[in-house]
Amino acid sequence: MADTNADKRDSMTNEFDQKMEPVSLWKDAWRRLKKNKMALAGLAIIALYFAATLLAPVLPIYHYEEQVVDHANLPPSLRRAGEVMLETRVAYMRKTMESEGRSEMNEEEKAQVERMKADVASNPVHKRVYVLGTDDLGRDMMARILYGGRISIMIGLIGTITATLVGILLGSIAGYVGGRLDNFIMRFVDVLYGLPYMLVVIIMMAVFGKNVINLFVAIALVSWLTLARVVRGQVISLKHAEFVEAARSMGASPARIVFRHLTPNTLGVIVVFATLLVPDFIMSESFLSFLGLGVSAPLASWGSLVSEGTNTMELYPWQLLVPAIAMTVFLFAMNFLGDGLRDALDPQSKNRT
Amino acid sequence: MTDEVILRVKDLRTYFKTDEGLVKAVDGVSLELRKGEILGIVGESGSGKSVTNLSIINMIPSPPGEIAGGEVLFRGRDLLKMGAKDIRNVRGNKISMIFQDPMTSLNPFLRISTQMMETIILHQGLGKKAAKEKAIEMLKLAGIPAPEKRIDQYPHQFSGGMRQRVMIAMGLACNPEVLIADEPTSALDVTIQAQILELVEELTARLGTAVILITHSLGVVAGMCDTLCVMYAGRIVERGTTDDIFAEPRHPYTQGLIRSVPRLDVAAADRLPSIKGQPPNVIDLPECCPFYPRCESAMEICKRSYPDSADFGSGHRVSCWLYAKERA
Amino acid sequence: MSDTEALLDVRGLKMHFPFGGGLLGGRRGKIYAVDGVDFSIMKGETLGIVGESGCGKSTTARAVAQLYKPTAGEVLLNGKDLTKLSPARLIEARRGMQMVFQDPYASLNPRMTAGDIIAEPMRIYRRRGILRMSRREIDERIEMLMERVGLSRFFKNRYPHEFSGGQRQRIGIARALALRPELILCDEPVSALDVSIQAQILNLFKDLQAEFGLTYLFIAHDLAVIQYISMRVAVMYLGVIVEISRAADLYREPLHPYTQALLSAAPIPDPEIERRRQRIILTGDVPSPDRARTGCYFYDRCWKRMDKCASSVPRLKETKDGHQVACFLYNDPD
Repeated sequence: MADTNADKRDSMTNEFDQKMEPVSLWKDAWRRLKKNKMALAGLAIIALYFAATLLAPVLPIYHYEEQVVDHANLPPSLRRAGEVMLETRVAYMRKTMESEGRSEMNEEEKAQVERMKADVASNPVHKRVYVLGTDDLGRDMMARILYGGRISIMIGLIGTITATLVGILLGSIAGYVGGRLDNFIMRFVDVLYGLPYMLVVIIMMAVFGKNVINLFVAIALVSWLTLARVVRGQVISLKHAEFVEAARSMGASPARIVFRHLTPNTLGVIVVFATLLVPDFIMSESFLSFLGLGVSAPLASWGSLVSEGTNTMELYPWQLLVPAIAMTVFLFAMNFLGDGLRDALDPQSKNRT
Repeated sequence: MTDEVILRVKDLRTYFKTDEGLVKAVDGVSLELRKGEILGIVGESGSGKSVTNLSIINMIPSPPGEIAGGEVLFRGRDLLKMGAKDIRNVRGNKISMIFQDPMTSLNPFLRISTQMMETIILHQGLGKKAAKEKAIEMLKLAGIPAPEKRIDQYPHQFSGGMRQRVMIAMGLACNPEVLIADEPTSALDVTIQAQILELVEELTARLGTAVILITHSLGVVAGMCDTLCVMYAGRIVERGTTDDIFAEPRHPYTQGLIRSVPRLDVAAADRLPSIKGQPPNVIDLPECCPFYPRCESAMEICKRSYPDSADFGSGHRVSCWLYAKERA
Repeated sequence: MSDTEALLDVRGLKMHFPFGGGLLGGRRGKIYAVDGVDFSIMKGETLGIVGESGCGKSTTARAVAQLYKPTAGEVLLNGKDLTKLSPARLIEARRGMQMVFQDPYASLNPRMTAGDIIAEPMRIYRRRGILRMSRREIDERIEMLMERVGLSRFFKNRYPHEFSGGQRQRIGIARALALRPELILCDEPVSALDVSIQAQILNLFKDLQAEFGLTYLFIAHDLAVIQYISMRVAVMYLGVIVEISRAADLYREPLHPYTQALLSAAPIPDPEIERRRQRIILTGDVPSPDRARTGCYFYDRCWKRMDKCASSVPRLKETKDGHQVACFLYNDPD
């Protein structure tokens, strides 16, 4: 008897004896998202990044702080570090020789080469493979961008979550209560909008010190603004809906109405905006790091790596390209995903095969 | 109403590909419209009545919809096969359409004069001055007071009933042969509805226009229409003269529908006889008579195939296994 | 029945909405949506309110429900004036009065399951300490209510968009019944439904009334629907009641010219009757209630108007047994 009930619950049939699967709104959106190849690709890439950066400590990569001076500035290669090192040094020597007009190595250089060869043969450290090359202190670029990714993504996520929560709170209250409170909050938002954002952040970092916490706070302080406006708009358009009137007529408190009725119905918009906030945060952070106000050594973020890379980009272009590409791909992926989410969650775009 | 058939729809099929499945919004609809006739199409949600309309003038948004089959012969020419230029010449000119909500079918940013003159100039080749005069004349016919002044106003300056009059004036401006009215009064108050329906009746009689009137109100069809088609789940289940159908409805759906409408002229009964169940969700409908889950007289065969048509004379036809001979 | 006290007593109800003015200028004014309405409903009775757009019927319902604070007047539920209660007391009193809304698509929160929607009133009142029900009791009541309104209880966890319009309206009705109210305010509950479903829902309303001894304030614009469901009918125009009487009397013998015009305009699903009918076609539009009136509200469109109708406002007076009308054709000005 209990079994038939359970059967009934999951697979109701309609009057034509066709199965009627329960379809929640999220499942519906997911189905639409799946049709968008770009968005799915974005999702896959992001998942990959998350996995890689999360698991960085247990991945078989070299430590991001470890400096091997001999291995400084090695280009990306699938061959052993020793070989690559030898090759680059020899090439450098030949350049010097050319500039001096020689075609033969002198004694000192030959001795250097011999020493290096011996070192390569004996020292196991030269068996390493630096797939993405090394930086000027001999640190593995792969490890640097993975750990840098951790910082960048964390900033992106935490910043977005904070901004979202603050934006939802203030936006819903302003939208629902209306009147003077709404006015006050919105004028406050307007004022903050008008501030030269970067200037404020820079001043804050200068006054309160350059650490990651302050970085978070500084960026989060101004990034909830757009979200608050968006949420407020949604709440205003929804607050006269009949289901809200119904809730009021049964004695629901304003808090219940805002958080149980209005906010869940704005989630679609919020998710889309939040997804597009993450790249914003990462870009802001990278700009600050570029200016030298972001994370400081030995910590790395994509931004600081790019900043370091610009110093050496003529000689060792991979030191700029590798972190730049890593960051750009991530940002593209988030944007595609955000776009895809907007289409999937937008009820108007239903059935537009 | 004469015997001259000006519009003939043959086995029209319009399907929509949705995320959830194939929706056969119109699944084999055939009808004939004679000069001067007022034909009513009655149905509930999902019956396909509005889609039929849009299909006739080939205005189905595609994707997701497409006209999967059938012909729409207007004076012998198939509208579905016409080129874009030809069909534009028909729309608004020979076959005109008015909709339920005049607020959305009138452009809120343009004056009435602009919108009306556009059609007149396009189809009748008149100059600006002549077109404006014709438009004012139409507005006067439609009962709009001080039309010379009001023609230069914007839609939002008119009330609901007035806007619908403007729509009618626009629809009849080019003296079309067919006027398709899709629920023209459903959004209006009952006293305004009476005015508008009287206007449509009077003007179309005067101009000799045939009308296809789509509505869900049995009262409206009883008062306006000469002939009637009852639609359910994309098909016409019963058709005939209004008198015949109301006097002796044959299809269980028609019977149920007529019985379940509360009537002003009879004392209130204790209980309103109602059709059980709800209008079907026409996604991926199986091969059957779509009314069978709600039908009191459903039989085995109703679950397996769609019934053939049975003829009761003077155009009264019903698609129901109660009357159709079972195919061997 | 008439010597028991009225369950709901509305006296001099007014609802005026100011508009305009402000920084951008524009005309300042008031919408006199409800402009002095009196009626009472006995326990177990159904009062129908009928009228066209702008007549104030929906606003009346919302003012009675205290969704708007009335500009003037009293709303007595079981003798207690709701307009004068403190918010806490009002919530207690609201338990006896619930509402069913018009739009089955907009009156249910799309993000809540059917079960949650129906349970919400119970959960709100339990949280406030007014209702004592365990979680299991609430669950059982949800299922009982769903079955009672004709929905399978196995659909408890489905979302509104998975139901048809008629089914959604049933959810709304179940929600209204959750707290065992005495009075249900029905704001055009069948207007947005298909014709074949209307009959089902109307029957459901009648059945529930018989079973639970409910009292209804039923609003609609379709005269035939009002005639079917109501015991007494009030006709509203521009914010006032112009006529009120027993349903059968009103339809048999409408007194006020507006009622006559309304009845004459309503289509009847019978081609022979329609052919023979003599229609009273009113001229002009349904006016908007945006100015105070010095004479009869119907003066502009009335074909029976007299001079005295322009200078004083007729009040509802009893003309025959149980039949009140506000018209100088039957009463003289004070």
